Amino acid sequence: MNLLPKTSILDKLLWPWRPESNREAGSAVVSSFLLHWFPHRISLRSLSLMSSMYLGTITLTLFIILTVTGVILMFFYVPSVERAYWSIKDIEFAISFGWLLRRLHRVTAHLMVAFAFLHMFRVFLTGAYKAGSMVRSARPWNWVMGVGMLVLTLLLSFTGYLLPWDQLAYWAITVGTNIAASVPLMGEQIRQFLLGGTEIGQNTLIRFYVLHVFFLPIILFALTAWHMWRIRKDGGLAVVDQVRKYAADNPPEIPKKSKTYSILGIAKGTSVAVNDPTTLNDGNSVPSSPFLTTRLLLVVLSTLAVSIILSIVFQAPLEAAANPEVTPNPAKAPWYFLGLQELVGYSALMGGVLIPGIAVLGLASIPFIDREQKGLGLWFTDSRGRNFGLLGFAYGLIATAFCVTLALLLPTRELFSGIESQFFFDFVNPASLLLVLFAALFLVVSKVSKSTRYASIATFCAFIIGFLLLTYIGTALRGPNWDFYWPWQAWPHHPITY
Amino acid sequence: MNDKKQNPTQTRRTFLGRLSVGFIGLSLFSGLWVVLKSLIPNVLYEPPKRFKIGDPNHFQSGVSYLEEHKLYIFKQGNSFFAISGVCTHLGCTVKFSPFNQEKQITVRGKEFTETGEFLCPCHGSKFHGEGTNYAGPAPRPLKWHRLDLAQDDGQLIVDIATEVDRDFRLVV
Repeated sequence: MNLLPKTSILDKLLWPWRPESNREAGSAVVSSFLLHWFPHRISLRSLSLMSSMYLGTITLTLFIILTVTGVILMFFYVPSVERAYWSIKDIEFAISFGWLLRRLHRVTAHLMVAFAFLHMFRVFLTGAYKAGSMVRSARPWNWVMGVGMLVLTLLLSFTGYLLPWDQLAYWAITVGTNIAASVPLMGEQIRQFLLGGTEIGQNTLIRFYVLHVFFLPIILFALTAWHMWRIRKDGGLAVVDQVRKYAADNPPEIPKKSKTYSILGIAKGTSVAVNDPTTLNDGNSVPSSPFLTTRLLLVVLSTLAVSIILSIVFQAPLEAAANPEVTPNPAKAPWYFLGLQELVGYSALMGGVLIPGIAVLGLASIPFIDREQKGLGLWFTDSRGRNFGLLGFAYGLIATAFCVTLALLLPTRELFSGIESQFFFDFVNPASLLLVLFAALFLVVSKVSKSTRYASIATFCAFIIGFLLLTYIGTALRGPNWDFYWPWQAWPHHPITY
Repeated sequence: MNDKKQNPTQTRRTFLGRLSVGFIGLSLFSGLWVVLKSLIPNVLYEPPKRFKIGDPNHFQSGVSYLEEHKLYIFKQGNSFFAISGVCTHLGCTVKFSPFNQEKQITVRGKEFTETGEFLCPCHGSKFHGEGTNYAGPAPRPLKWHRLDLAQDDGQLIVDIATEVDRDFRLVV
């Protein structure tokens, strides 16, 4: 142990990151600003790759890369309908490394949406939204906050999608904002409020720009800080609950009485040994610095490296300048909305408003529906949970495939050709059927297993696979006129005129 | 001052407290109102909704597509009508796909000679030649717009803010 004062400036700056003793590691967390959000010690189970897969860390890293590249792109981008497209052209072709900044911004935006979803899947499947045994734990609310952050991430991505002002952008936003118009009663007002007019124009561009570069990021930053702070307040990863349970079930042996201490008046028992099962000890934990910090550094640097490699490999597309007169065929939303676009193809109200609304509310209310406090931090809770998860996957796959097949082979309008009421078709369509099938899965499994946790696992797994399958169909299997094509079928040639 | 017992739940302090909460609520609401109201534009710098599209004699018989207005103009003999090219599902532009042969159809209780049908590229909605949706997710028929003749130079005027019935014909 080196208790001598540090002499060189480098030593003074770096010692918290490479402590030479447990004691220094402890004071590092207390005295360094950058380290203060870490715990003093971290359990070995939390460090294990399988507990968190560092998905949240990766998402945060991507958000930071997005902020940095985004702020630099703001120096070059002009949010005006006359110049927006040409400033993107400049970024792509005239500005040194502009292409890299733009590609990096685009790649990390896609990755951030993907990793936010993956992080949510991990948190759900390990039951980390449960309060557990920690006193005053508010993990359920942190989960709700996380759902809000996912929605913000999607909104950020969606508002950024319009800014290049090319055909891709223009038509994705046309479709997206018209979905808002299918809200009953208020729809057209909501659409015009989003657009700042009756059609996409300068007002829309500046609205989306301000939302994208200031409003949404600042809310997301605030929520991120709150989200991280709550993780510390709630005792770290959910798997720590298992460490605590193990310690409680295996209390340390009480040392034999050998000597009388003057502290007897304060501490119960025969010795000063404090029997606190929550304490992380030398056997089950290590100091955060350097054991957690080096791992985080590795994750952050790998995320950055992979993003840069992907940006060099994949070009960022830029189509012709936005042209309200020509609709590209097929016109598609960003990939993470293509599952919804597939459902929107059955009914705009059900697929575009009701199902996403119910999905977000359903996700947010999971911790309040499932209050069973068992198996925190364990994947699928236990082997029975794993079986229900597999059941959910299989059921979700079959149910989604069934509904899509129904939509393709037996359109509801042909099935009920005598009915003209739009209200009827908004509620009787394959998308509604899928919703009913998923609700039925939850009810049946909770009845059979008498456990809300197993029912949630089955439904959530069905949701994951349904989301993936619909996204795949919308992305790869829908061609011109939104017709269905197998991957091995060639699309008919459609001349695109600009 | 007087011997009347005061209601302990209605002291001056609770009254002032409620008043303060009310004022804070009111000021938050008015602040929000100002912001939201400012975001609803009073003046729109958009193209006019009523505009001239040219001399009726210059239109060929059958269907012409006005790209910049997303508008299909039909001319049958000396009668004109206009159908909007904006899909009623999510606002994509529908394409008119002509038939080889004219077809006599009865849609929603009315006879119509259709020369083709409208197809939407976004979600595969299909419309009869007179605009009625018959397949896909489109919730409503395509809009019909009012046509007029200009007083000054006799050009066709289309009013895309006004929707008219399927019986509408402008006879020149």
